[in-house]
Amino acid sequence: MPIRRVALVWLLGLLAPSFAWADNPLVVEAALDREVAAPLLDAFEAAHPHIQLTFRDRSTLEVDARVANEDNPPDVVISSAMPWQMARVNEGYAQRLDSPAAQAWPEWAKWRDEVFGFTFEPIVMAYRLDLSRHMLPPKTHADLHTLLTQHRETLRGKVTTYSPLRSGVGYSLFQQDARYTTRFWDLVTAMGATDTHLEANTRAMLEGLSEGRYWLGYNLLGSYAMVWAQSHPEVFVQVPQDYSLVMMRMAFIHRDAPHPAAARAFLDFLLGREGQRVIAGETPLFSVRPDVVGPYTAQRLRDQVGERLYPIPLNASLLAFVDPSRRTAFMDRWQREFHRLAHPEPAQGAAAIESRIDKRSQR
Amino acid sequence: MIEVDGTLKSRLAFWLLATVSVLGVLLLVEAYFSSQRAAERAYDSQLEAAALTIAEAIRWEGGQPVVEIPSAALQILATRHQERVFYAVLDAKGQTVSGNLDIGIPPEWRRRVSSQPTWLNDTYHGTQWRLYGRELDSAGWETQDPVQIWVGHTMSGRDALTEMLFEQAVTRFVIMVLLAGILMLLAMRVALAPIRRLRQQLRRRDADDMRPLDARVPEEMREMAETLDSLFMRQRDGREALLRFTADASHQLKTPLAGLQTTSELALQSDSPDAWRQALTEVHGSAGRTSRLASQLLSLARLRHAVEASATARIDAMALLHETTFDWAQRDVSQAHDIGLASLPASPQYIQGEAWALRELLGNLIDNALRYTPPGSVITLGAVCHAQTLELYIEDDGPGVPPETLAHLHRPFERGGRQDTEGSGLGLAIVDSIVRRHEARMQVESAQKNGLKIRLFFPYLTQHEEK
Repeated sequence: MPIRRVALVWLLGLLAPSFAWADNPLVVEAALDREVAAPLLDAFEAAHPHIQLTFRDRSTLEVDARVANEDNPPDVVISSAMPWQMARVNEGYAQRLDSPAAQAWPEWAKWRDEVFGFTFEPIVMAYRLDLSRHMLPPKTHADLHTLLTQHRETLRGKVTTYSPLRSGVGYSLFQQDARYTTRFWDLVTAMGATDTHLEANTRAMLEGLSEGRYWLGYNLLGSYAMVWAQSHPEVFVQVPQDYSLVMMRMAFIHRDAPHPAAARAFLDFLLGREGQRVIAGETPLFSVRPDVVGPYTAQRLRDQVGERLYPIPLNASLLAFVDPSRRTAFMDRWQREFHRLAHPEPAQGAAAIESRIDKRSQR
Repeated sequence: MIEVDGTLKSRLAFWLLATVSVLGVLLLVEAYFSSQRAAERAYDSQLEAAALTIAEAIRWEGGQPVVEIPSAALQILATRHQERVFYAVLDAKGQTVSGNLDIGIPPEWRRRVSSQPTWLNDTYHGTQWRLYGRELDSAGWETQDPVQIWVGHTMSGRDALTEMLFEQAVTRFVIMVLLAGILMLLAMRVALAPIRRLRQQLRRRDADDMRPLDARVPEEMREMAETLDSLFMRQRDGREALLRFTADASHQLKTPLAGLQTTSELALQSDSPDAWRQALTEVHGSAGRTSRLASQLLSLARLRHAVEASATARIDAMALLHETTFDWAQRDVSQAHDIGLASLPASPQYIQGEAWALRELLGNLIDNALRYTPPGSVITLGAVCHAQTLELYIEDDGPGVPPETLAHLHRPFERGGRQDTEGSGLGLAIVDSIVRRHEARMQVESAQKNGLKIRLFFPYLTQHEEK
């Protein structure tokens, strides 16, 4: 990379008239793993060599805080915390994108032509090989509940899921689960009864599974889990057979973007055929566009798991999730249900993990 | 001289366009506001529904209102147009129980809402918002304070609906105008058909066809058709008068010529020089009369047909009257009569005219009076100043004429029923022609005792013409 940079600068030095274009920065604040997004970013830089891309990989909380930063606003904001992104757009922090790519983008994956869901990531369960030696691995949410109830002692401390408190994504997923069925709270109670470990991100859950600390994980980001399973044969990914939530990463151009032209170019690239092709072929983020072919596309996922995919609706209803009183009520209930049948003394490990502040939390 | 001044079609089109423009502007303004009202009603009911949905979710816990914002309420607020949404639930003290944007609700708005639900327009960060507030009386076990629910959204949906409704109204209007225009053209063709028919009928007419029109015309064209008819009638009358004049003139000339022939034939058969002398004297007198007749006919024809006026001048009518009267009074022919002037206005009275013609006119009048009155009659000329006109008159105390012939006296060869005079019957006809040339008016009436009075009214020379 440095050699390429030097060569680029030298080349632009020769092409003096176009030098002005070289100094065309673009700041992207993103809650998206740099390693996962690297092929996408490289492809963008190759397509737009005159734009100097600064990609800042942060937690969803930090990204959200950056949006409201008056002095130094970013150009493009990407986050998987859908309700928070939606709230920022509702507050008027986004600007419209009226390009052909934005016009052609499916209606269900955009709002106000300002914010766009550009990935299609299924929410999955993951289990370790050890689990299948003791019991039949779960295929549905009901299976999971049964398993947690019947093998409570075997699974004690071996189950993991998102912490709704520390992870915006986890909170959103649980909210969405709770919207579909009240039996979700039975599941929470059962998870609490087995002293389930609450993690801040999918990576921590996957690492725990590979290390053998956990046998079963619930509500993992399928995009990361599927890639992990390819290189870690002891981990299996199960897309729930009853319903599988789908999370979309949402991107918008900041209202006060210092470099709006570059920002539009970036978003056009993300939504365009080329960017989506890279997403479908070289990242596990899954392309939304139906006209893109590759191993990771929404279409292919539908073909594999059928019509059980339930994308979190990208509309104003998401705003309810960030309502403070609703969030407080939800967390109160979570705590109540989680501790209803819990062990008299809360697990020390879980408390330690809860208190840890990870840079990549909430992802 | 026919001057073409645009077409009827363009005139009608102009008026149609002007009317439609004025009406159209009014209609479109009305359409815009009614579109806006319709859009407002449609979307205001959504705000109401969202507020009601939120109201359902409010309950009391430990003396505090608690609300779990329903997702449905937010979706109702956002509408199909994906508006940005605002909601706030305020307790009795105005503290926010729950809410998403920091749109401040001023106390006076809260007071207004406490009496009745209210809709408001507000600007928040440069964007127009429509807000709706209502108060909810909900009772808990500990407290019974009212709770206010405020909801709002941006207005792109309203604007889009207004625009759509307005566009529909404009489209309807434009189609209506186009249809009206086409109908107008058709109507014009139908309405102008009688004019076309009349034109064709006139074009087909023979040059000497003077019969009245035989055409079916609408009420609006009746006047024009009647005018045409009367024009034809006058032409016919003029033609007939001309023919009659020619016939009369031939007849008048034929009689003395026949007399001449007879006299000369008799003289040729005789051998007596006395008879010859006698005949020659007769021939001489008759030729003189005939020549006078011919010269009068000629002057009458000249007066009637000389269209272009010869040089006119400013003439003092009083001086002329004086001069002519005295001239005639001294002639031999008038020695048997008493010709005199009535008292005249002291100052000169000016009229515009041709001196020779006016002299001829007075001369003819005096000559006429001399010829048609018995010797010893009194002939008086005079002048009277009226407001608009100067009147010259001549009056005699002769036998007069029967009242029924008064109106025809100015016709050529009309002798007032008298065959006993040497007059040609052309005198008053000449007078009439001269009067017409001077745009004056002649009035023939019976004099106070008996006899005849002829009054001529001349227009004064106006200030403008004096220059």
